[in-house]
Amino acid sequence: MGGVSVDTGGKGGRRALDSEINLIPMIDLFICCISFLLITAVWSQMARINANAQVPGPPDDTKERENVEPEKMLTIEMKADDKFTLIWKSGATVHATSEVPKKAVEFSQGGGLVQKRYPDLAKEIENQCKQYCSHKNDDDKKLDQAILSVDNRAPFSDIIAVIDAVYASKRKFKGLDINQFNVTFSAR
Amino acid sequence: MSAKPHRHFEHEMIKTPGPRLMHAVRLKFVQKRVQGGGGKAVNASLNLTSFIDFLIVVVVFLLMSFSATGEIPVDKNTKLPSAEHTVDMVDAPIIAITGTNILVDGVAAGSTRPIEDSGRLMKIDELHNVLKNKRETWKQINPKADFPGVCVMSVDGRVSALVVKSVFQTAAFAGYPNVSFMVGQIPKTQHGGGGGH
Repeated sequence: MGGVSVDTGGKGGRRALDSEINLIPMIDLFICCISFLLITAVWSQMARINANAQVPGPPDDTKERENVEPEKMLTIEMKADDKFTLIWKSGATVHATSEVPKKAVEFSQGGGLVQKRYPDLAKEIENQCKQYCSHKNDDDKKLDQAILSVDNRAPFSDIIAVIDAVYASKRKFKGLDINQFNVTFSAR
Repeated sequence: MSAKPHRHFEHEMIKTPGPRLMHAVRLKFVQKRVQGGGGKAVNASLNLTSFIDFLIVVVVFLLMSFSATGEIPVDKNTKLPSAEHTVDMVDAPIIAITGTNILVDGVAAGSTRPIEDSGRLMKIDELHNVLKNKRETWKQINPKADFPGVCVMSVDGRVSALVVKSVFQTAAFAGYPNVSFMVGQIPKTQHGGGGGH
């Protein structure tokens, strides 16, 4: 039997000098823990990526309407096969338009679905955000708005790749890293 | 024939041969070892230290990878896309698109065929009703709490944007504006660039 000897000193004729701690219950406990954890283990790690439909709430008649200047929004057009078009707009006013070549990094995570990422697009959005983003302060909870204008035939994996590139832009809010943008879809 | 008389040594000048070292150590397991005598012990004791070490390592690893949120049911034929900048899953209705079927928490809630046939954005009435009922139920159960309006879409990576946008829009109309897309997690890179192979 397994045990741990503890030398307590002493002489012959008295109680045994070395007592043994019974390790069997501890081993039983470990085996129970391992069994429980193995049975309840989740091997497929799922996560989610946010989007927001930006549905406005009902108008509040008690509050006086203020003439607030519309914020700058980033529209990402992914309708062309070879490029993305980034448009910074506030209302109908276009502030800047630029094009980013559609250079995808392809990878496979098993299951046969070849997936894409757009690191160049992520970098370009991050650079442009320094100039055009409205919400950068550490105490500003609001996020900038990014609108995806997607071709109807585009596969869903492409949409996720672009949303992922948009969410690569981060900023600080009360010391925590948060997304710079909130993503929604163009209704057209 | 008479037996040979047994010889006694009066002064114990000659002692029985055997091990002499370590006899002063008053530990049982040391005494047992040094006494020797006879062949190999019948009951051998296993050294459990390495076994316990192994168990501890396994328990620590499993505890670190333990997820309390539970497993999310995903259809085996659905190949979810993967993303890097993700957040943890939440407990919310799951809208799954499997083949041409739309399911809400495993219950059928419409088909994608009319959308594909029409080729334009459409509101899916069946999905809208199911989600609206779910929202009403939630509000009855939690009368004082604000409705979070969160739902999770589990969509195959090959599904067309038209179907995704139609479902997204329907969910928003039904009172679920915060739509999340279920994705696989890929390890984070330093600058958001590159990709796993």
